[in-house]
Parts: sequence; C-alpha cells; structure tokens
Amino acid sequence: MDGRLFHRALGRRTLLKVGLAAGAVQIASPFVLRARADDMVKIGFNTPLTGTYAAVGKNEQLGAEYAVAEINAKGGIDGRQVQLLVEDSTSGDVGTAVQKARKLIERDKVNFLLGNVNSAIALAMAQVSNELKTLHIVTGGHTDAITGKSCQWNVFRVCNTTAMEANSVASTLIETSGKKWYYITPDYSFGHTLQGGLEKAAGKLGGTKVGEDLTPLGTTDFSSYLIKAQSAAPDVVIFTQQGDDGVNIMKQAVQFGLDKQLHIAGAQMELEVLEGLPPEARVGTWVFEWYFNQPNVPHVAEFVAGIRKKTGKVPTARTWFGYAAAWTCALAAAKAKSLDAMKMAKALEDFELPPEIGLMPNPAAYRAGDHQLIPTLFVGNAQANGVSDPEDLFKITKTVKGPDVAASADANGCKLVWPA
Amino acid sequence: MQPHRRSVTQLILFNVFNGLIIGAFYALMALGLSLILNLSGVINFAHGGFLALGGYFAYSLMPFTGFWGALVLAPILTACIGILVERFLIRRLYGRDPLYSLLLTFGLAFILEDATRFIWGAQSVPFQVPAVLTQPLSTSFFFLTGYRLFMVALVIVAVSGLFLVLGRTRFGKRVRAGTLDLETLSTLGVNVQLLRTLNFGFGIYLAGLAGVLAAGMLGLQPTIGASLIMPSFVAIIVGGLGSLPGTLFGGLLIGLASGLTAVFFPSATEAIIYVIMGIVLLVFPRGLLGEEGRLQ
Repeated sequence: MDGRLFHRALGRRTLLKVGLAAGAVQIASPFVLRARADDMVKIGFNTPLTGTYAAVGKNEQLGAEYAVAEINAKGGIDGRQVQLLVEDSTSGDVGTAVQKARKLIERDKVNFLLGNVNSAIALAMAQVSNELKTLHIVTGGHTDAITGKSCQWNVFRVCNTTAMEANSVASTLIETSGKKWYYITPDYSFGHTLQGGLEKAAGKLGGTKVGEDLTPLGTTDFSSYLIKAQSAAPDVVIFTQQGDDGVNIMKQAVQFGLDKQLHIAGAQMELEVLEGLPPEARVGTWVFEWYFNQPNVPHVAEFVAGIRKKTGKVPTARTWFGYAAAWTCALAAAKAKSLDAMKMAKALEDFELPPEIGLMPNPAAYRAGDHQLIPTLFVGNAQANGVSDPEDLFKITKTVKGPDVAASADANGCKLVWPA
Repeated sequence: MQPHRRSVTQLILFNVFNGLIIGAFYALMALGLSLILNLSGVINFAHGGFLALGGYFAYSLMPFTGFWGALVLAPILTACIGILVERFLIRRLYGRDPLYSLLLTFGLAFILEDATRFIWGAQSVPFQVPAVLTQPLSTSFFFLTGYRLFMVALVIVAVSGLFLVLGRTRFGKRVRAGTLDLETLSTLGVNVQLLRTLNFGFGIYLAGLAGVLAAGMLGLQPTIGASLIMPSFVAIIVGGLGSLPGTLFGGLLIGLASGLTAVFFPSATEAIIYVIMGIVLLVFPRGLLGEEGRLQ
C-alpha cells in the first residue's frame, strides 16, 4: 500500500474499457495439464469443464476415465497402458478449443482425440484432427454436418445426429399431442439443425409450424419468448435448449403454467437437466440417447453400479458417450492391430460395439458411409420423481431402432475422402 | 385448456409488463454494484460470484430454515463474506489505480465461480420456491406469477429501504457525503475505513438477495452470476455513473427494451442492451442521469 487512503478518480471511460476487456477475457480460461509418459498410449479429451456445458462435459470425462481404467485393467492397448489427457475446451470459444486440440495432438502427441459437446467446437476440432491425421471420436456434438456435409475419414461420432433425434420423437408427438408446433430454438448450429429436422419430420406426418423464435445462447430470462409462444396457441411448444439454458426455460415455462395449457416437448433431453429442475418442472416428451434404467439389457446394471461407486450418481447419456468413445479407441487399435489412424479408421467401418460397451437393447455399429454410430434411441416422458430410484426421472415409452430413423449417408451429403 | 390467439398490441403490452419485472431485477443487482463503485471506486467484478453464493447459501439453508428463513439469512451470510473480502483483500488496494482492485475482483469472480462448482457441483441444483408463489395469478395474464410479483415487491421494498437509509440515517448521509468528497469527510472525523466496509457489505447484501431471487426463477448453477453481471454494468452506464436513481432507471430501461425486442427480433434480445448503451453514450456521454463532474 502506498499509504494513500483515497481512490483515484474512476472515469466512465475506464469502466467502459474495462468492461470490454472483461467481456473478451471471460472467454479465455485455464487449462488442465496432466503428467506425460512417452511409453503410454494417449487419448486426448478436449471437453468443456467451464461455462454452460461444464456439467455435461465433466460427465463425458468421467465416462472416458472409467473406460480407460477398464482398458488398463484388461492389459491396455497392445500391451501398453492408456493415459487420458484432459483439456478444458471451454463451452463456446471455438478459437481456444482449436488451440487445445492442436496442443493435444502436436505437443502431447496423443494417439486419439475425443470431443466435443458443442457442435461448432466439434466441427472445428474435426478440421484440426483431419489436417493432423488423428483418429477423432466426436462424443456429444449433435449437428448433422459432423457426419454429413463435413464428414471426414478420420472422424467418428457416438451421439446421434439431430435428424435422428427429431425423427424418433415426431410421430409420438403428433399422435399424442397434436400437429401445430411452435419452436423456441437456441441460435447456433445445433439448434438450427435440430429445429430443421423436427420441421421436416413433422411435415411428413402433416405437422405444421405456427411460429418460431431464436434465442441467444446463454439466455437467462425466457419469459418474453414464452409469452409469444403461448399467444400463438400451438398444440406443442418445442424447446431445443440444452444445458443451463434448458434448465432456465423449463423452470420458467412451468412457473407460467404453460405445461397445463399446451404440451411441452423437444427432441433431446438429458438427465443433467432434469436433475437440475425442481420436481414440478420435470415434464414433457423427449428423446434420451442412453438411459441407465434398462432392466432387461445385459451388462447395463454392472456399468451403472460401477459408475455409481465412482461418482455416487448414476451414469447419464454423457457418461456413456465418453465411455463408448474411449472404448472405441481401444477396440479400433485392437482390430487394426495398429495405432495408424487410417488403419484404425478402416477397422471401425461397420464395426459393431460389443454388448458390454453398447449397453442397448439393439446392436450399435459405426456406419461405413459416414462414420455415424447407429444406436437405439429412447422416447418417453420426464417424471417428477423416480419410483424405484430417486434418479429415475424419465419413463421410456418407446425404444427406436437407429436404422429406422437415420437417413442414408448419401442423403446426408457425406462423401468420405481418404488420403492417398 | 387452449390458450387464445392474441393481437400484437396485447403481446406488446405483456412484454412491457414483463420487461419491467426483469428490469427491476437487473436494477437490484446494479444498485449493489453502484453503491460500492460510488463510495469505494471499486468496480466489483465479483458481484456475480457473490450473487451465486447468495443463491447457493439459500439452497443449503432451505432444508433447515425453509424458503423464507433462507431469504432472510442467505443475503446476510453473503454480506458477511463480502465484509471479510473487503477487510482483508480490497482494503489494501484503496488509493491505488482502480485497475488493481478491478484485477482483484476479476480474479475473485473466477475463484468464487470455481468454489461454488467445487462445493455444489457443476450441474444445476433443484431450487424450489414455495408452491404459493409459483402459480400464475390469472390465465390471461399468465406471465404474472406470484413469484415475479413477489420479486418486484421485494425490489421495491429493498430500493425504498436503500434510499431511506441513504437519505435519513447518519450512515447514509456519510455514504453520500463520501461519494462526493471522501477526503473532507475523513477530515471531519468520520471513520472512512469502517464506512467503506459497511457500505461494501451493504452492496454485497443486495447481491446476495438478488441471488436468492434469481435462483427461484433461473436454474441455480455456478455460472448464474456471470450471465447476469453484464446487464447490471450496462444498467449503471446507461443510467449514469454515480447516480443511484439513474442505475434504477437504467435497469428498468434495458429490461423493457429486451422484452420488446423479443416481440419483433427475438435473436437480438441480448444485443439490444448494448445497442442502447452505445446510443446513450453517444448522445448523453455521462449516461441518462449521470451528474456532471461527480467522479472526475
């Protein structure tokens, strides 16, 4: 301290400059660096640990960690132990995420790249991994382009396309709730493609769009959108918000009593969101991409118990994405008998996940034409409180086979180009 | 029950009401920031962190005290943390360039966000308000829920309380005097350090209160403060630096603008508040109610 008691004059200009600077710096954030060992096979996971997708990003990481422990217990990859290197990709800063992906591949020399939750980041990462010829498993970015127009020979995706989710839920919604739909959609690639998919799927079944609103990502107050949606008098209001935005819109819609006036629905719902809501706000018809309560499917109970022991909570779809993605790396290397990205990518084409990894009622395989995993989808309703288990917040009414809802690779606009 | 189609006029009217409600909430946060800024010259970037802390304290207290008890206790607890932060960290930086305290609070904002993430987890926690408050009051004015009106009522009480304290009590008069000329106030024998500490605590109390209210309306997650802090800064700049009525007015204005924008150009609801800030600064460089020369 220089002993002076009084602060210097603080001008409006200083405040403004500082505000602008702070806005820019918010995007940057620290990164996690783990120890390195050169004799290990390395999987690099670039996942959001801060920002709006921190919760789901962390769950994907947990699933991958669990898989790596299993892989190592079974002897690793080609006799070498596997190490997971984790970076915080941030939730929305594509520039930072690309830097982290480059760092993982170029400096840490990872053999595989995993991620991301955010579709835009996943697409940008895929460009990097393709340029640097590294096998890349997209865990949870849903926009169609990843295995559609922007597909790459080295990129495989575990989670569904938005179109598959839309097609799964559309018929149920039309049958049970009505044909006039109003969309409230987050204004970025995931939201746009999901809404596009729903419009197309509903259109085929005679559904119509009575209105739509785009909401900026990170919106806190949705009331003005909800007022508009209610005024348009639709049968169904479709929310495609995810993460914290999803929690906010659901909470406010139920406080307005919208759930008693019209049907709330959407394509993708996650356990993370339902758990963040008070019981009365756990409503609506949705698609889950994986669910822990599958009493008749072998191996699921062991997986759930294992994750519960590690974290105290049940695995979510995100946990499973991370788990399946990390295991895919080990299985690809084993089948190709090599760590060469191209050989592994070839080995994964039409490769079916073994049941203890797939953990679904029907087989799940990576399609050769576009490298999209074609799994089972779960349609159902959110429920206020779990009956058998406090975390059982979703009631499955229908399981949908992936091949029934996935358009062909050609129709999605994917043309894989392999290096010479 | 099927809702009725509404005319554009009705839609605008609804959004005016709703915008004012949201604006009142922005104002509550901004007033706390403004208090601290005016007397101590500290741009408290950690305000959002304290806001989140208020919400999480209420969440943890609720099983023991119920919602109402938490509403009373959580802001006080937050204010206590605020006072500790002022006493042991911020106080050391008075008299230095404002950038020092700014960097400190900026870092503190990250620390608070990560601390809440570490303690309560990254995922939203289910924060439940009493059922009496969550019902809409009527089916046509469905957006007027008990909770939102309660929020506005509380903001009115808090703001009138704040102005009463500032206008009528010795503490308040000293705060106002200190805002104008701290040096003279100190020469007159007022313990300026204590005044600043109490004032900081008071500002953080308002952040804590805003946090409890926000948690009932939004998902309670570690980023809740970060997402609400920018509108509060804009409210202060639009209203005019150094003017508490200006801050209140600025908050209401941007809430209203954001609500109305949703009717015509929904994807610009966030951008509009910055557009307003830009226009106000071009036309009224000191903000709408900013006073000439106050802080310069």
